[in-house]
Amino acid sequence: MQETVIRLARAGLLAVLLPLTLQACGGDSPTATDTASPDPQIAASGTAGEGTLVVRANGEDFVRQGFTTSDGWEMEFDNVYVTLANVTAYQTDPPFDPQATQEINAQETVSVSEPITVDLAEGDEAADPVMVAEVKAPEGRYNALSWEMVAAPEGPAEGYSIVLQGTATRDGQTLPFVLRLSEELAFTCGDFVGDQRKGILSGDDEADLEATFHFDHLFGDGEAPADDEINTGALGFDPLAALAEGGRVEANSQQLSERLAPADYQKLLEILPSLGHVGEGHCEETNLTA
Amino acid sequence: MRRVIPIILGCIGAAAGAAPALAHGVVLNYQPANSIAVEATFDNGEPMADAQVLVYSPESPSEPWAEGTTDAQGRFLFSPDASLPGTWEVSVRQAGHGGIVAIPVEGTSVATTAEGSGSGGGEATSNSETMSARPQAATAGPSPVQQGIMVGSVIWGFIGTALFFSRGKR
Repeated sequence: MQETVIRLARAGLLAVLLPLTLQACGGDSPTATDTASPDPQIAASGTAGEGTLVVRANGEDFVRQGFTTSDGWEMEFDNVYVTLANVTAYQTDPPFDPQATQEINAQETVSVSEPITVDLAEGDEAADPVMVAEVKAPEGRYNALSWEMVAAPEGPAEGYSIVLQGTATRDGQTLPFVLRLSEELAFTCGDFVGDQRKGILSGDDEADLEATFHFDHLFGDGEAPADDEINTGALGFDPLAALAEGGRVEANSQQLSERLAPADYQKLLEILPSLGHVGEGHCEETNLTA
Repeated sequence: MRRVIPIILGCIGAAAGAAPALAHGVVLNYQPANSIAVEATFDNGEPMADAQVLVYSPESPSEPWAEGTTDAQGRFLFSPDASLPGTWEVSVRQAGHGGIVAIPVEGTSVATTAEGSGSGGGEATSNSETMSARPQAATAGPSPVQQGIMVGSVIWGFIGTALFFSRGKR
């Protein structure tokens, strides 16, 4: 009997110490979960109200108002044609991160498949981003966007995915230019990052999404310090100005590959995948063909 | 390519206290709260100092729940409303660079690692950011299983102790 009591006592002492051990092991660990509660006001639902998603393309003030390149050329754009196809908006949960190796986990998708060519330079300096497409969509939060850039099937940019047309001026010299790029790109992007949030579609209302193009990545930004990465990584306009014939620069991708210095052409190819954004939000470039 | 790295840290206060009221005195109160620290840096290590920060709650993703700026080290601290569990989002922007990070918050604790993204694009260019969020040890309570084991152990501990002292002398 006495031995039994002693054993019980030892067990009791161990039992007192056990919770302390458990606390030490578990007290500092955050509770893990991989799901987030959907917004109760705008939870995605395929059977909920149907509104309108308006997908716009934005070349920003760089295109609408012109800008100074990293090497001092004043750029003015008459036309900046881009052709978008398979534009798809997604409701994703968890939110899609374009820089992580993950697939989009979409609860809802809305897509416009046909290629659409828009002119990012359309309108005056204060013009709104140009509309690419309107599409009916179930309400919810569209926090990812993807699109392809393909050769225009017709029109002024026929055969090319990007056409830049305008003038470059420096030190009294003005060079008209037309650059026709045939590289095909595809961008998959997360949530829009900017002054306003986009893609929140409530009921039968309307919501915007935006495909943004950062052409300062290509030409640099003369208003930024010379050692800023936007300039150190840019091609600038000098390599293109060097191709001028008869007082103008006119070249397509094939001609650029032949006439640019190999390092400059390689830089051009490396910059193109960085053109696509959603506001300031990053995109994954998933395709590049010349 | 630039990288924005918000780091989530858990902080918790102690019990609230109050000083007795005095003429011209100062009354300072504090409340315990789990907090999230966002640390934003470019991938070259440079902090995003004085960057605009917008915090969005799960309840209202279109209107900022809180606004502010990062400090000189690119840090911003906020305490999410524990009554609004779900995905909180923090946008950090500065001079054309920016990103947004989604932070799952479960009740009173940061729940998991979250990833976000920022501007730029590709290795070829300069102004690209990546945002990642790492929860760090908040003072989290024991799980229900742990609580059950602890309660049972304490009860049995008292029983064992009682039996020890009630044992007969040799």
